[in-house]
Amino acid sequence: MTRPRLHSRHHAPRPTRRALLWSLLGLCTFGAYAARAQSAPEFRVLVNPENPVSSLSRDFITDAFLKRTTRWHDGETARPVDQRADAAVRKSFSDSVLRRSVSAIKRYWQQRIFSGRDLPPPELESDDAVVAYVLKHRGAIGYVTTSAKLGRAKSVSIQ
Amino acid sequence: MINDRTTKPTTVGRNTERPTVLLGRWTRSISFAASLLALPATARAEDAPDSSGPLGIEVHGFVSQGFIKTTSNNYLAEDSTKGSFEFSEVGINFSKQLTDRMRVGMQLFTHDLGPLGNYRTRFDWFYLDYRFWDFLGVRAGRTKLPFGLYNENNDIDAARVPVLLPQSVYPVSNRDFLLAQTGGELYGIVPLAAAGGLEYRLYGGAIFYDTADATSTLSNVRGPYIFGARLMWQPPVEGLQLGASAQRLRLDGDAVFSAAQIAQLQMAGQLPSDFSGPLKFQIPATLGVASIEYSAHDLLLASEYSRWWVNLTSTVPSFSVPETVSERFYLMAAYHVTPWFTPGAYYSVLFQNVDNRKGDSPAYGTPPGTPPLGRGAYQHDLALTLRYDLNAFWLLKLEGHYMHGTAGLSPTLNGNQPVSSLTEDWGVFLVKTTAYF
Repeated sequence: MTRPRLHSRHHAPRPTRRALLWSLLGLCTFGAYAARAQSAPEFRVLVNPENPVSSLSRDFITDAFLKRTTRWHDGETARPVDQRADAAVRKSFSDSVLRRSVSAIKRYWQQRIFSGRDLPPPELESDDAVVAYVLKHRGAIGYVTTSAKLGRAKSVSIQ
Repeated sequence: MINDRTTKPTTVGRNTERPTVLLGRWTRSISFAASLLALPATARAEDAPDSSGPLGIEVHGFVSQGFIKTTSNNYLAEDSTKGSFEFSEVGINFSKQLTDRMRVGMQLFTHDLGPLGNYRTRFDWFYLDYRFWDFLGVRAGRTKLPFGLYNENNDIDAARVPVLLPQSVYPVSNRDFLLAQTGGELYGIVPLAAAGGLEYRLYGGAIFYDTADATSTLSNVRGPYIFGARLMWQPPVEGLQLGASAQRLRLDGDAVFSAAQIAQLQMAGQLPSDFSGPLKFQIPATLGVASIEYSAHDLLLASEYSRWWVNLTSTVPSFSVPETVSERFYLMAAYHVTPWFTPGAYYSVLFQNVDNRKGDSPAYGTPPGTPPLGRGAYQHDLALTLRYDLNAFWLLKLEGHYMHGTAGLSPTLNGNQPVSSLTEDWGVFLVKTTAYF
């Protein structure tokens, strides 16, 4: 029986090809992380000035934005507010606080919207709109870029 | 409701319509849904949070069109070997947050998948939801069944990576009686301090089954009860959840045979000589699934193991089938390479009977002398999906399956051939596009 000729053409020797492949994979991985690091602006988490908190745990913020928690510790209704899905600050907030990509969060909400479980937080167009929302609602929680004008909105630290 | 339906025996095919019955059900459902959405008038305006739509009503919808082609064996559609576009879904929902704690909503849904659906519009869900605390909420109406990780999303293409969820655990052919119930539900998340949180769902009610979707001579099919629970534990590991679901249900109905079929079955000794029909049956079933999902950053990993205990009792003993335990399992992975590109893959396996995994014996309940079930006893499914999010409202998916075994295939779609005689190794190719908002 004739064996199929697997190497009938001229290819680079196996170790060289393997090295090339690993280099390519490494470059891609490094490139992706480098791009992620470069495109990650900072953000501030805001609450209404009447809200007594000055710092929040990352878990609480995550639960509030995924609506697993709907109340502040004092019983006030939590009103999370998002920014547009393509906003850089949304990506930064999603990656570092929610620890999921914006796409994964969108999918989480699609599952809940179309199965009738819940509705996502409102998506606002700009930092100014988020600040205005936070000032209007006592239980609001949002995030803005570090250059945003906060007015009377209170910036809280993340533990 | 199903109990209001005519009990006159009918042979129901894919184009069977009963306008009067459908209109009556529609009228009642629309009245109920309209009354739910009219409730804002009684709610305190200052309690209602901001909403994006007119009158504070959120509107979301989706439209999907798919194409399915199999290398052999008709699967899901009659002509899938030639390629079929009978793979469409349309849904629109309306939700209104009445107060901080109360919400109402409804979703209209129509679909076509081979012999199923045929664009009959129905209420997918409608409910009144009141959340007392985070650890206790109540929902009443028609609600999706929380079974496993993804049962509630079985017809929501935008919410997942694969075109077809693993069919061992989430068979689309069962969507009409395993996707939603009409009744009530208790739900909540119980904090467990350092141990994370426990999400629970407890539900009970009845099942509406649309006999027009049946591919055989069934009449007066109804699900008098279903109850179950799902517990999902979210341990303090980012993105990890583990859970278990169980449900108990029963389907009752009549099988109506033509005179020719009765004569044929009497000659085969399967019906008594004095049989005058219809043949009444009951199918009690218990379904259980254990689930694990890890979803963090751009990675999704999920796996589920399920067993279904099903038996069939009939007024004609020869049609009764002793309890059969089927086994179902899948392992799935997906990765967001970029915001617009997500590949995914899964391996899924179905064994129709844990005591006959290799098909060495005939199926339970078959007459003596029936050949072994063979390839009809199992189905191994290896799937690869490429999902492209073309923009924020439009996606395209390409999917290929390598299938080994014919369990889960419909004899009706395959010229009434027994599944054990269908092609053992075959492939499925799917293209699907969905627009949603």
